[in-house]
Amino acid sequence: MAESKVRTIEEAAALVRDGDHLALSGFACARNATAFSHALIRRGARELVLSQCVLGLDADLLVGAGAVRRVIYGGGSLDRFGQLQRVNEAIEQGSIEFEYLSSLAVAFRYLAGALGLPFMPIKSMLGSDLLARQREIAPETVRELDDPFTGERLLLLRALEPDVAVVQAQVADGEGNARVFGPRWENSEAAGAAKRVIVVCEELVPTETLREMPELTVIPGIRVDAVVPLRWGAHPTSLYRRYDHDAEHLRLYVAKDRTQRGFDEYLREYVLDTGTHEGYLASVGGVERLAGLTADPVKGY
Amino acid sequence: MAHSTSELMVCAGARELRDGMLAVVGLGIPQVAAALAALTHAPGLRVLNEIGVVDPRPVEFGVGNADPRHWYRAQAFSSFVGIMGTVLHRGLVDIGFLGALEVDPYGNANATEVRAEGRRGIRRFGGGGGANDVASLAKRTIIIVRHEPRRLVEKVRHITNPGFLSGGRSREAAGLRGGGPLRVLTDKCVFGFEETTRRLRLVSIHPGVTDGELRAATGFDLRIPAGTPRTPAPTERELQLIRSVVDPERRYTTAF
Repeated sequence: MAESKVRTIEEAAALVRDGDHLALSGFACARNATAFSHALIRRGARELVLSQCVLGLDADLLVGAGAVRRVIYGGGSLDRFGQLQRVNEAIEQGSIEFEYLSSLAVAFRYLAGALGLPFMPIKSMLGSDLLARQREIAPETVRELDDPFTGERLLLLRALEPDVAVVQAQVADGEGNARVFGPRWENSEAAGAAKRVIVVCEELVPTETLREMPELTVIPGIRVDAVVPLRWGAHPTSLYRRYDHDAEHLRLYVAKDRTQRGFDEYLREYVLDTGTHEGYLASVGGVERLAGLTADPVKGY
Repeated sequence: MAHSTSELMVCAGARELRDGMLAVVGLGIPQVAAALAALTHAPGLRVLNEIGVVDPRPVEFGVGNADPRHWYRAQAFSSFVGIMGTVLHRGLVDIGFLGALEVDPYGNANATEVRAEGRRGIRRFGGGGGANDVASLAKRTIIIVRHEPRRLVEKVRHITNPGFLSGGRSREAAGLRGGGPLRVLTDKCVFGFEETTRRLRLVSIHPGVTDGELRAATGFDLRIPAGTPRTPAPTERELQLIRSVVDPERRYTTAF
């Protein structure tokens, strides 16, 4: 039997070194690896490069905590709850670097990395200010080229190879084979492109269980370095078929997030002073309150 | 039956959608317009969500694209590469229906940032996400924007979503495959584009909007040809469907 890769969230967070490029898991307020961001913040991670097609709460927390040097992204928000005010303000004030691409461009850069190719051609971003600014900010990542076969104009995007990708999954085994239910956005490509992969799962099951329906495995364990079984790891974002987003807590976050001072208060109360994931869950009302977010098995939310 | 401006916009948007189309639609009025079209003249309309959702049948509104309420009873779950890659990038999306912060006379749209009011510098928004991909690659797009002088401007602050760039053949020259914007839909009128210059031209003016109001609300020089038709008012059936089926909570169809 293969060696177990099961780790605590703190052990997994230690796999991210200061200055590393980390590909995040979520999309707006869905399936964020929130507990993983908390663990990185608690250990004082610094100078990270974050990448994601659409940034969510996990990115906003890390930027607000001062853990981030650069973001590579296509968009980001907390949907109707509000904007990512720490990310936006950091960009407005020039306190972090940013590569702002289309979401598909971010996904294609992961895809190139996952395939071991140096670049990927794309037909988006041409003619736009996304491309004009990227040429200024990161000229080494974009190049226009005429297709040598047809002469058609192409944009070439440099591959992304994150040091670490984190994927928040519903189910995984001790070897890291992970089932992701619902749309998978860029998780497969980001994990494929990364040098190290961390899976945070709501439920840990025996490999034998996954062998019954291997077609449901989205992230193969052969590429995974650590598996963290953790209940409510995506809270307050949603985990499809497990629990809904926590609207009340997201509203509280957005209100605090308006200023750095408010954010710092939030961070102290819910992340730093709580010490652990269990402490965080207690601070947001405990499992009894969270049980009210449990997904309807038919609807999935 | 009296109608709101947003109901008129929903109907005007829905009429641009054809049966059998593959569409990528934004939240709010575009999504409501697609749902109305599917209940009336376009039962075969298929809606795609950029994160990897095919033809969902939601029974309640969610908070955004990533809310499972918007994925309910989808035909398939996939990924960015699976939907935006193998469908949109492949050239198979017929229409994209997108919001914007600013639009210029060539249909170039800003979804990124505006000059901050009352303080120096800029204010960033959520960014386009996949909107640039849709604007670049869909066969045609419909853009929805609030009709204000600071939003319909001669030059947008940031071209997030390319329209016809500087007009004429400049879009093709930049290497863009998709056909560009078909309509710009506002709360005062519907715009199309001149065939050769690719500059905005009026298609219809919403009922009750005067020429003076329209000019005052437009941040660039606007020609209003005599005899420009009025945007058709919603039918009784359309209003009934909007109010009882498509948006019973009236979340998007009371005010714009």
